[in-house]
Amino acid sequence: MKKPLYIFSSGRLERRENTLSLETQEGRKVIPINSVSEIKVFGELDINKRALEFLTRNQIPVHFFNHYGYYIGSFYPREALNSGFIILKQAEHYLDREKRMYLAKGFVAGAVNNILKNLEYYRRKGKDLKETISSIEEKFKAVSSVDSIAELMQVEGEIRKTYYESFNLIIQVEGFYFDKRTKRPPENPINALISFGNSLLYTTVLSEIYRTHLDPRIGYLHETNQRSFSLNLDISEVFKPVIVDRVIFSLLNKGQMQLKHFDSDVGFSYLNDKGRSIFVKEFEDKLNTTIKHRNLGNVSYRRLMRIECYKLYKHFMDEEIYKPFVGEW
Amino acid sequence: MFVILVYDVKEERVAKALKICRKYLTWVQNSVFEGEITEAKLRMLKDELKGIMDETYDSVIIYKFRTKQYYERETLGIEKPSHEDFIV
Repeated sequence: MKKPLYIFSSGRLERRENTLSLETQEGRKVIPINSVSEIKVFGELDINKRALEFLTRNQIPVHFFNHYGYYIGSFYPREALNSGFIILKQAEHYLDREKRMYLAKGFVAGAVNNILKNLEYYRRKGKDLKETISSIEEKFKAVSSVDSIAELMQVEGEIRKTYYESFNLIIQVEGFYFDKRTKRPPENPINALISFGNSLLYTTVLSEIYRTHLDPRIGYLHETNQRSFSLNLDISEVFKPVIVDRVIFSLLNKGQMQLKHFDSDVGFSYLNDKGRSIFVKEFEDKLNTTIKHRNLGNVSYRRLMRIECYKLYKHFMDEEIYKPFVGEW
Repeated sequence: MFVILVYDVKEERVAKALKICRKYLTWVQNSVFEGEITEAKLRMLKDELKGIMDETYDSVIIYKFRTKQYYERETLGIEKPSHEDFIV
């Protein structure tokens, strides 16, 4: 099966003898082109046009992250799967207010239900989350009555705030404390983990969208505007609690991730190389974990993301109404 | 599917075989490759190899595993690359 390739070392990536070769200080490493689904670059990488051409031909998107692990941008190869019909349908669902609200609410509902599943899971394990759960359920009721995207975003933001505050109850590890969500830059280790995990997830979903006919530029919950991609942000909402948050909980609670895996500068915090590689391993393991799906047998979480795209297809073509993925554990 | 591929080809064709296999599988050591591959890609690989092989002299052996569940890899001496190295 094709796997994503993470490049942390610095060096030169080139096309050589019809495959990929990564030249670093430690020597040359040949990477079988047919086993790579996408590339995520964290190191200082030199790359030339010939290599990009080769990656395009093999339909491999490349995502770049900066020194601190923030997403910079992607090399999104020319669309291999084109469908004017799907794009029209996607735009139609964006332009029609009601249709757009339906999808936006769908993504939020998926996110909130998965958040509740997480909380429920930890409540069963004896954490005192009863109040958080009922407060989120209460706030969630407002979703059915809102009628603008801005209001919806606001409700979602409030729910997420309550949820993030409960991280202190779920993660009871010395030195890790959540006060408020801060991005750019994240101010403490938990924020750094959330930011890093989310950007990994965004690019993963983007790579999955690339393999469908959907256009990642048209999103519903996240405004389609000057930003290049937004559909991947929408779909990511549904999967954040399932993938990113659970990876964070398990890494911290099992002590695999410790304070020594973070570097901090004045007022902010980010993962160091060792920390990133621990996170990426756990993240990939999570994506490859299979669960039993009601209709499809055993499917991995990565596969579920693709299925989410196919569900949107069906929704656009009026075959089946979109219902977001909600975990059933 | 997970495969281990070994080949034994005449010297003048070794480089060609190496190049072809490198596109699909991870090189482990001289004339040995391993990796996850799909049925279709394996077929492409075999076709490419057949194109350069002299089938009366060379041989390629492919060990196939449906899952990696019963596979264990043990290395003595130098640690050789593995297809699991997706972080570099």
